[in-house]
Amino acid sequence: MDNTPKPYMNAYLAGFLLGMVLLASFFITGRGLGASGAAKSVVIETVGHVAPEYAKEHPFYAAFFANGDGRPMKNWLVYLVAGLLGGAFFSGFVSGRAGFAIDKGPRVSSAGRLIFATLGGILFGIGSQFGRGCTSGAALSGMAVLSTAGFLTMIFIFGTGYVIAYFFRKLWIH
Amino acid sequence: MGPLIPQGFINPDLNLFFAFVIGLGFGYVLEQGGFSNSRKLAGVFYGYDFVVLRVFFTAAITALLGIQLFGYLGWLEVDMLYINPTYLWSIIAGGVIMGFGFILGGFCPGTSMVAAVIGKIDAMFFVIGMLIGIFLFGQFYNIFEPIYMGSFLGNLLVYDSLGLSRDVFVLILVIIALAAFIITRKIEDNVNGLPVAKGLFHPSYTGPFAMMLGLALLLFVLPQRPKAAWNEISADKLLEKLDDPGRYVDTDELAWKLLHPQSNDLFIVDVRKAEDFAQFSLPGSVNIPLADIITPVSLNTLRTASGQPVFVSYSTTDAEAAWLSASRAGVENLKLLKGGLNGFVEDMFVNQYVAKSYEESEQFRQRFRTDARQMFTTGAGIKAKTASPAVVPAAAKPTPGAIGGC
Repeated sequence: MDNTPKPYMNAYLAGFLLGMVLLASFFITGRGLGASGAAKSVVIETVGHVAPEYAKEHPFYAAFFANGDGRPMKNWLVYLVAGLLGGAFFSGFVSGRAGFAIDKGPRVSSAGRLIFATLGGILFGIGSQFGRGCTSGAALSGMAVLSTAGFLTMIFIFGTGYVIAYFFRKLWIH
Repeated sequence: MGPLIPQGFINPDLNLFFAFVIGLGFGYVLEQGGFSNSRKLAGVFYGYDFVVLRVFFTAAITALLGIQLFGYLGWLEVDMLYINPTYLWSIIAGGVIMGFGFILGGFCPGTSMVAAVIGKIDAMFFVIGMLIGIFLFGQFYNIFEPIYMGSFLGNLLVYDSLGLSRDVFVLILVIIALAAFIITRKIEDNVNGLPVAKGLFHPSYTGPFAMMLGLALLLFVLPQRPKAAWNEISADKLLEKLDDPGRYVDTDELAWKLLHPQSNDLFIVDVRKAEDFAQFSLPGSVNIPLADIITPVSLNTLRTASGQPVFVSYSTTDAEAAWLSASRAGVENLKLLKGGLNGFVEDMFVNQYVAKSYEESEQFRQRFRTDARQMFTTGAGIKAKTASPAVVPAAAKPTPGAIGGC
């Protein structure tokens, strides 16, 4: 059996298909894609279970329990991400890419990579709250509807990346 | 037509089901595109792999051109789509923090989930970090709130912010994207030690080039108006029509035509509320309340009316509003009753008309008013009406009663 992973899809074709998925999302539901919103639901659900009294009084969490049915997991973005996980797993599985691995630059140890991945995750978690969405929810979906917020988010995420890339080059290149 | 769920074409209970199905496509494409590999993702910042830029730009432009074209074709109400709000400083702070997160972590939230589910351990740590980050934001929300909720500028559109027309902006964006594809291909080949192709074009982007530029130019050529407004006339033309006294039908003409059904070529459209219409109405008139006047069904009724459409309301205010709205929507040859129903009642029932001079026309008018008054009050009008029922289109609601009510 051939175990070498299949090559990735042509980037423009992938972009076109992703654009069609985004268009379908707007056409059917009137809103774009998103990923960080589901992570927020997980956090809110968890805090709501562990410390329900605290969650009801805290302004960040209380809004979610006051509005709606108080079930943060029964949420559009949570179902979207459930689909995302299914679709990604299917794709990785059929293309021979599923399996435990750590992708990293040549000059960083696996432990170092995991520490920086966690740090990056923390920053993205905080940043996505300020930005009211992440690369997909705020930047990509926002650009598709030509919103100022979408373009600003895109410019500041990637602009910052380019400005600071040099200082963190040891993480990714020789 | 679209968006289907907000407009009620699909049961909102299916919203979550569609979220899942759309998610399946989202995850599949991201993984196939190579977004499950942090090293590929970070490549966009170091020049060895621009897959992120290619996919991201192509996707954004495909979706935005699609949305605008769907809007043009009348398939999608673009105004109903969610426009994310511009909280200026919050966006800047968030963007900068996320930029750091991208370089350090090598993922963004969506891609980290895609990578984590196929077994990438670095992605799993990123996801855990992200949950911690959101939790920290929640914990320190009181500190962050002034930035988070401050400097709200509205749900802005980017071309408005830049003072450009939509089509010019889209064209510029497409050109920027195409330039980026060309430049990044050269940078990428150079960084990876591959021979850099001479010239601007590279076979890898001929297809997307042709499609994007073609659609952007199409958008540029097409008039920028949704299908619902295709027939809309310009403000200048409307003003011209507004100036024409021929758009009025006076009370005498209306009275004469009501009394002579065989020569009544009027299609009387009563724009008052349904309950007012039910109390009394002109014989043969149909009721289209002002609020419904520019619905497609109403406009079609007016366009295909068997006679000359004439708007009536109590005074002329609502009839004028209906005349303006429908004329603006492109319906030709509309009229309205001068003086309104109040004027009609006054002329025909209340005031005795006295000829202003001995000229024939004035004398005739006086005789006509007297006769008309007699016919309306004694019920001759009702007889005349029942003798020849007005033909009305199925979509319009014909009046059951005659003028006897007032």
